[in-house]
Amino acid sequence: MVFKEGYDPENVVAYKGPLTVGLLSYLGNYLKSVIKAEHSLEKKIFRIFIELTQNVSYYSAETATIDNGVSSGVGWFTVKKSNNHFVITTGNLIIKSDGLKLINNCDEINSMNEAALRDLKRKTRSQAMERDVGAHIGLIQTSLLSKSKLNYKVTGLDDKYSYFTISVDIKD
Amino acid sequence: MENIIIKEVQDAPYYPVVNFNAEKGVCEISGESYMEETFKFYSPLLEWVKKFLKEKDSPLTLNFKLTYFNTNSSRLILDMLDIVKKNIEEGKKVVVNWFYDPADPDMIDEVEDFEMETGLDINLVEMQKN
Repeated sequence: MVFKEGYDPENVVAYKGPLTVGLLSYLGNYLKSVIKAEHSLEKKIFRIFIELTQNVSYYSAETATIDNGVSSGVGWFTVKKSNNHFVITTGNLIIKSDGLKLINNCDEINSMNEAALRDLKRKTRSQAMERDVGAHIGLIQTSLLSKSKLNYKVTGLDDKYSYFTISVDIKD
Repeated sequence: MENIIIKEVQDAPYYPVVNFNAEKGVCEISGESYMEETFKFYSPLLEWVKKFLKEKDSPLTLNFKLTYFNTNSSRLILDMLDIVKKNIEEGKKVVVNWFYDPADPDMIDEVEDFEMETGLDINLVEMQKN
């Protein structure tokens, strides 16, 4: 799971850079208009796209300040379509010490069935801070909506940083 | 008590449309909700609901017509529903309606989760197609 330079014919959308809400909204709505899937699948893809990309936007260890002075997380995402399924992948830098918690959270989510996940979502949400709910609940929601496992990888880069990539498969 | 009206913002569909009307006792939130500063957006709405229920004896109706909200927004919606639940227990009359698209089963799950978390009865109302 790396961001490949050059054209990939399976990519519906691919982007690398600061992930502002304006950009995500614009490309998310573009996705809705081009995927031409069933109504409920179209909604699902949009919702998963926003959850995963906003996790990069909020929690990437690399940030950039753009014209209006707002700081946004830097990372990348791809949305691929092959046959009847869609794959959304994101990648971003994380603080190395956050890696283990992220791995544990993803493993816990992947070990649960739908009922247990919904229970975990409610518990996590009611305990979350109002100002910052954290990345965990976005990952739970992604798994619930996609009904598939989180395919993730944490790669150590140096003493301070690791790289986090996550990919989900969304079928009709 | 002042009303809150937030109209549709062109090029910023991540802000919902809001119409909180004190004379009618009706709060309506529609559209999509995935703005960056969720707490800043929802705080005045939560304060408005608290103030209405504290100062007025008339019933309040909350109409949710959201077609999408991110998990950050859902945390603040939960707060609003918690305020409502607490006030109902204290004898206030509040009705919560959630307008949904029958072709969107994920939204029905969301409403069920809110009901389970708050212990509140939320009326599911099928959204009329334009």
